[in-house]
Amino acid sequence: MRTKQEYLIRYKDGNLYCELADIWIDPSKPVKKALITHAHFDHFTFGCEEYISTKETAILLKERVGDNIKIKTYEYGEEFKINGINISFHPSGHILGSSQIRFIFAEEKWLISGDFKLQKDQTCKQYEIVKTDYLISECTFGLPIFKWDESNKIANDISKWITNSPEKTSLLFCYSLGKAQRLLNEISQTNFKGTIYSHGSINKMNNSYRELGIDIKDTIKIENKKNIDELKGSLILLPPSLNKGSYLKNFKNIQTAFASGWMSIRALRKRSGYDKGFAISDHADWDEILEVVKKSEAKNVFFHHGESEALSKYLVEKESINVLLFGK
Amino acid sequence: MSLKKFSELFGDLDSINSTNNKIQVLKNYFLSNDPIDNSWAIYLLTGKSNKRFISGRYLKNLFSRIYEYPQWLIDTCYLKVGDSAEVITLLLKNKTNSRKKKLSNISLNELLSETIPALSKLNEEAKNLEIKNLWETLPEDNHLIFNKILTGTFRVGVSIGLITKSISRLINIEEEIISHRLMGDFKPSIDSYEFLINKNINFQELNSKPFPFLLANTIEDKIFKNSINDFQFEWKYDGIRMQLIKRTGNVSLWTRGQELVNKAFPELVEKMSHIKDDFVLDGELLVWNFKEQIAFDFSLLQKRINRKSPTRSIQIKYPIIFIAYDLLEINGRDIREIKLENRRIELEKYFSKWQIKSENNITDIFKICDLIFPKDWPDALTYKEKSRENNTEGLIIKKKTSIYSSGRKKGIWWKYKVDPMQLDAVLIYAKGGSGRRAGLYTDYSFALWKDKELIKFASAYSGLTNIEIKELDKWIRKNTIEKFGPVRSLKPEMVFEISFEKIQISKRHKSGIAVRFPRITKWRKDKKINDADSLENAYELMKKIS
Repeated sequence: MRTKQEYLIRYKDGNLYCELADIWIDPSKPVKKALITHAHFDHFTFGCEEYISTKETAILLKERVGDNIKIKTYEYGEEFKINGINISFHPSGHILGSSQIRFIFAEEKWLISGDFKLQKDQTCKQYEIVKTDYLISECTFGLPIFKWDESNKIANDISKWITNSPEKTSLLFCYSLGKAQRLLNEISQTNFKGTIYSHGSINKMNNSYRELGIDIKDTIKIENKKNIDELKGSLILLPPSLNKGSYLKNFKNIQTAFASGWMSIRALRKRSGYDKGFAISDHADWDEILEVVKKSEAKNVFFHHGESEALSKYLVEKESINVLLFGK
Repeated sequence: MSLKKFSELFGDLDSINSTNNKIQVLKNYFLSNDPIDNSWAIYLLTGKSNKRFISGRYLKNLFSRIYEYPQWLIDTCYLKVGDSAEVITLLLKNKTNSRKKKLSNISLNELLSETIPALSKLNEEAKNLEIKNLWETLPEDNHLIFNKILTGTFRVGVSIGLITKSISRLINIEEEIISHRLMGDFKPSIDSYEFLINKNINFQELNSKPFPFLLANTIEDKIFKNSINDFQFEWKYDGIRMQLIKRTGNVSLWTRGQELVNKAFPELVEKMSHIKDDFVLDGELLVWNFKEQIAFDFSLLQKRINRKSPTRSIQIKYPIIFIAYDLLEINGRDIREIKLENRRIELEKYFSKWQIKSENNITDIFKICDLIFPKDWPDALTYKEKSRENNTEGLIIKKKTSIYSSGRKKGIWWKYKVDPMQLDAVLIYAKGGSGRRAGLYTDYSFALWKDKELIKFASAYSGLTNIEIKELDKWIRKNTIEKFGPVRSLKPEMVFEISFEKIQISKRHKSGIAVRFPRITKWRKDKKINDADSLENAYELMKKIS
């Protein structure tokens, strides 16, 4: 058995690092070379000398942080070499442009799942099963209490929630990138035919998605105190950071909801401070994590980002899969 | 009407915060469902049924066996969710999604009057099979309701008052009348629902209505500029505020929350019904220590409130008293408009008459409140400080010339509460909460210094805001020394101001002291652990009090 130092990819200063290639994956502080799995801000930091990502991720990142970053792009499946290691991006189904990253060195395969889901999502490429020897997987929702409903069912619930209160303005809070576009895509296929407004940060991402060829319903940008009176019966998409009194007082007669996987738990729903919660997630649920572990044929698995203890124990006991621990 | 409607109602009530919207949702439910289902809905929502058919543990074991899930995995999930019925509901999603069995379309009535009662008649094996069968045939939306009813944990943020309001608006009849109708033994049936929504009010219902309560305000400095002689002083009891009404022979006990509680205190109803006069009294219900003539703790009173029909032995174990401090109506004459000092004279007059004329002694369950006569304001302060000795919370100060209006009217009644006792203590353990607080560390243990050691002296879980709870939870996760099951021992670093009501010697605790109702009143981020209090400080506090 090898020691932790000898693994191709390991944890260093709380980040995934490949020493042989001197490259970091989604680092949280400035480094020389960073592979970026997707354009969410918790996977990106300013100040790296060079970024490498898929084309879509690069475009979204530049839209969010400006053109002032040096970023090299590759297509899904296209292999490139760094210090003799073959590296490639593969769709992870999380948001547009999101990827898993595979490393091959001396016939040993490593796969970093990135944030991923298997559920249907018309706004990004479907997760691709990639075979590997070592799998490093996220496990944000690594407990069997997490089992997602079909997204069209959630969209119908949202539609009903809006149309059942025609005298109200419905504020739906969700992450600006990915979740918002997926919701728009789903909601446009329901019975709700009213106007949809969205916050500037979401609108910007909608436009980027459209430019990248994704069909996203038109939304009107909501501007402070401008179109307040005509909002009755309509839907407004907002980022969660705006769920605070000082912003909400811009509106009259509202109902609020939060779209997130955590909303499947009643205690969290009640604590969230929203009137309603819709359990829809861009992360894998328990079954999806198990499926990926199995189909990847990995002999060794690492988990990070989430509920790893129970999941690891379950895989070791029930599936006899070797789950390893990172030395942090 | 299917169970699904009730599941939807539950979902709506659970997610709506506004009272008015809840009432609207309830009204719509009552309008669109059968009387028998409405009757059951009211029965469940008012918490009249909390019978536990099986325990949460049993449910989890059963699930573990049927679906071959390791028990530890279910327990881990429970820590996140905080409710057995909900954990099983969430886990069932995984198991019944791909089922092929035909789904049942059972009604709330069928479930509660047939299916579940039938379950308890089966032997264990048959019962387990039947629960499995129900899990697999009930539509997914109904699992939570079903599991909650099974485990006797059905609760939703709806008070009896809210149900009362909804029905009151549904049929346009005053709330007090509906309250009165809901008070009795509410047995779910078509008849009981029709009785509830009957638009004809009978005389007796009209006759039991209480007056709106007059409430005290927090003490204001300006009051001290007035002459002490302008005010009437009473002890502030920590009991249940109540109007005791006797009209045309019938006694009703109304709490401030518009609840009729005759059932819980039958001995009081019985005694008072022997008095010849009719009256409306305003006062406080307490569990009373007759030997020392002071109130027992509120916790003992709670043992009475929670019982719908207390046995004779409970009545003896927790003897109650009604202490009247005002007379609002006498023999049909509404006297709320006359001055307090004159109402007091009437109250005293009638009390002594009843004492003499009653066939049986009423003073073993009823008295009028004693007045206090401080010489001046400093003297009033001294009384206030002494209030702990007789288990009261401080003083109530009432303007002698005031009339009995309603609500929290300014400038009439004030409460002058004794300050709580406080110590600054160090957080040393945290434990996960349950229910709404599941998944967060919300139960805390605090310690005081003894030489150079921190000794645990109290546990508390209330007093922090939701934002503070989240912040502290984060800190706890980062500063854990060791985990023992759900408990974490923590790096001693955080200091909190702990307030409590009473401090006494206790051999059961390592610290040698016990405190009552400890709660967090301030997160002392400004203090280092060396600034926290010592056990010695606690002993001094104890000496000062006694």
